[in-house]
Amino acid sequence: MKLFHRTIRDLHQMLRDREISSVELTQSVLDQIQAVGDRTKAYLLVTKELALRQAHAADERLRSKRDVRPLTGIPIALKDVLCVKEVASTAGSKILKGFTPPYSATVVERLEAEGAVFLGKTNCDEFAMGSSNENSGYWPVHNPWGLDRVPGGSSGGSAAAVASGEAIAALGSDTGGSIRQPAALTGIVGLKPTYGRVSRYGLIAFASSLDQIGPMTRDVVDSALLLQAIAGHDPRDSTSSPKPVPDYLATLGDGVKGMRLGVPKEYFVAGMEPAVEQSIRDAIRLLEQQGASIEEVSLPHSDVALPAYYIIAPAEASSNLARYDGVRYGYQAEGARNLIEEYMLTRQQGFGAEVKRRIMLGTYALSSGYYDAYYLQAQKVRTLIIDDFKRAFTKVDALLGATSPTVAFPLGAKTQDPVAMYLNDIITIPANLGNVCAISVPCGLADGLPVGLQVIAPGFREDLALRIAFAFEAATEFHKAQSPLMGAAA
Amino acid sequence: MPEPTSELSSREVEHVARLARLGITPDEVLKYRDQLRNILHHIEALNRADTSKVPATAHPLEERNVMREDRREPCLPADAALRNAPSREDSYFKVKAIQE
Repeated sequence: MKLFHRTIRDLHQMLRDREISSVELTQSVLDQIQAVGDRTKAYLLVTKELALRQAHAADERLRSKRDVRPLTGIPIALKDVLCVKEVASTAGSKILKGFTPPYSATVVERLEAEGAVFLGKTNCDEFAMGSSNENSGYWPVHNPWGLDRVPGGSSGGSAAAVASGEAIAALGSDTGGSIRQPAALTGIVGLKPTYGRVSRYGLIAFASSLDQIGPMTRDVVDSALLLQAIAGHDPRDSTSSPKPVPDYLATLGDGVKGMRLGVPKEYFVAGMEPAVEQSIRDAIRLLEQQGASIEEVSLPHSDVALPAYYIIAPAEASSNLARYDGVRYGYQAEGARNLIEEYMLTRQQGFGAEVKRRIMLGTYALSSGYYDAYYLQAQKVRTLIIDDFKRAFTKVDALLGATSPTVAFPLGAKTQDPVAMYLNDIITIPANLGNVCAISVPCGLADGLPVGLQVIAPGFREDLALRIAFAFEAATEFHKAQSPLMGAAA
Repeated sequence: MPEPTSELSSREVEHVARLARLGITPDEVLKYRDQLRNILHHIEALNRADTSKVPATAHPLEERNVMREDRREPCLPADAALRNAPSREDSYFKVKAIQE
C-alpha cells in the first residue's frame, strides 16, 4: 500500500508518530497525479510548489509538536470554484481564465490554519452547472472506474482525484447534488452540509440560496474530520449560521440501534437502474440488521422538486453571473465598438453552452409577465418541499435512498439532451431545496461501477447523517473498493 | 398573468438574450429556442402543485437581518481590486464609451 492509498485518519497518525513526513506524503500524491493525471484530467491546475512549501511548513509544525491538528500535512484538492489568493481560480470557465483572486475563501483559510497541503484546483462543470463534468470550459474529466465514463458533476474533478489517489481528500460544492452525485459515481463519500453550516465567502457563486461547500473523502471518518475543520460561523458570510458546531467524531460510533429510518417511496424513481435499486434495498436491509427500524414514508412533492430547482437555480445564476462583464476581471472580448457590445461579445465568447442556457432560462423566468407563473410558483413549491421534510422528520430520524438513479454513464451519452442530463439530480435536489443535509456513502458495485447510498438528515444534523453513514460503512467493505486506476499502483 | 407556454418564440429568445447581455447568432437562437421549449415543457409540471395557500420561500434561513457596528474595517486595497482588470487607468476600471 502506498501513502496515497490511505485515509486522513491513518496518515494523521503516521505523521504524528513521525513515521512519515508530509513532504514524503505530498510527493507520493504528486507522483500519482503525474502517473494518472493525463487519464483522469481531474485537475485544472496542480500547485506543486505551493504544496511542497506547505508540506515543509507542516513538517516543521509536526516536528516541534506545535498546534498539530487532524489535517496538518494532509494533501487536499480544492474544486476550482474556491478562491485561493494569488492562485488561478476559474470555476471551470474560460471567462475567468487567468483570474487570480485577491483573497482566499474562508474554507481555504481554515484549511491553511489547520496546516493542510493544497495540491491544486480541480476541474468542474463551468460555474458548477452540470452533472457529468462535460460542461467544463477546459476539458471533461474521466471516471477512474472506467475512463470512458463520466465522473458525475459538477465536482467531478474533486471526485476523480480522491478516487484515483490524486488527492487524499477534496472539497466540492453542492447546489443540486454536485458533491453527492459525483461521490456516488466514483465510489467515495460526499457530504452536503445544511445551508449555513459552512461559510460561502470566497466560493464563486452559482445559486446563492442553495450553494454549500462540503467534504469529498475516502471514508466517513475523513468526512467528519474535514467537515469539522470547515464548519462554523463566519462574519464575512451573513448567511452562515451562528449555531455551535458539535464534535462530529464524538457520536460517530453510536450506531443506529433504535433509530427510525424512513424510505421515501418517491425516491425509487422511474428510470432507476435495477442494479442500483437492488444495491439500495440491500443497504437498507443491512441498516435494519444493525438495529434500525425501517418504515416507508412519503415526500409527496418530490416530483416537482426538479422543475422548481430548474427555475430557482437558473434565476439566481442569471443574476449572479451578471458580474462577468469583461470590465473588472476575466476575459474581455476584442473589437467591440461600445460598452454594451463589449458586454455582449465578452459573454458570448466567454461562457459555454450550458451556462448560456441557464442564464437565458433564469432571465426568462424572472422577466416581466412570467415571474409569477415560474419564479414565484417555484418558490412556493420550495415551501412544499421544506414542509415534506419537516413532516417526515416528525416520524423518522433520517431518510434513506439512492444518490443517483444510475451508475456512471458513458461520456457523450447525454450531452445533446439537457433534460436527460437534468434528471441525474432528481433525488439529490430535494435536500438542497429543503435545507437539510445529506451524505452519499459507497454501497456496492453494479456492473463494476460504484453505487451510492444517500442518507438525509434534518437541518444541522450532520452528526446524525455521519453517524448513520458510519454505521453502514463499519458493517461493510464497500468503501475499501479501489478504482482500477488507484488499485493498479498498489 | 399569462399562462406559461412552452411555445417560446425566436423573438422571445432574442429578447431574453438581449436582457442578459448575451450575444447570440441566428443559428443559436433556433437551437436555444428548441432546447428551452423542451425544458419549459418539463418545468410546467410545477403547476401540478396546489400552491394557492402556500407562502413563497425566498431564502432557506429564517428571515433576519445581520448587522455589524458601523465602524470602518480593513478592506481590499484598490490596487488588489484592480489587478485583474483587463484595462484600467490610475485607480479606475476603464471602459469603452457608453454612448457612441
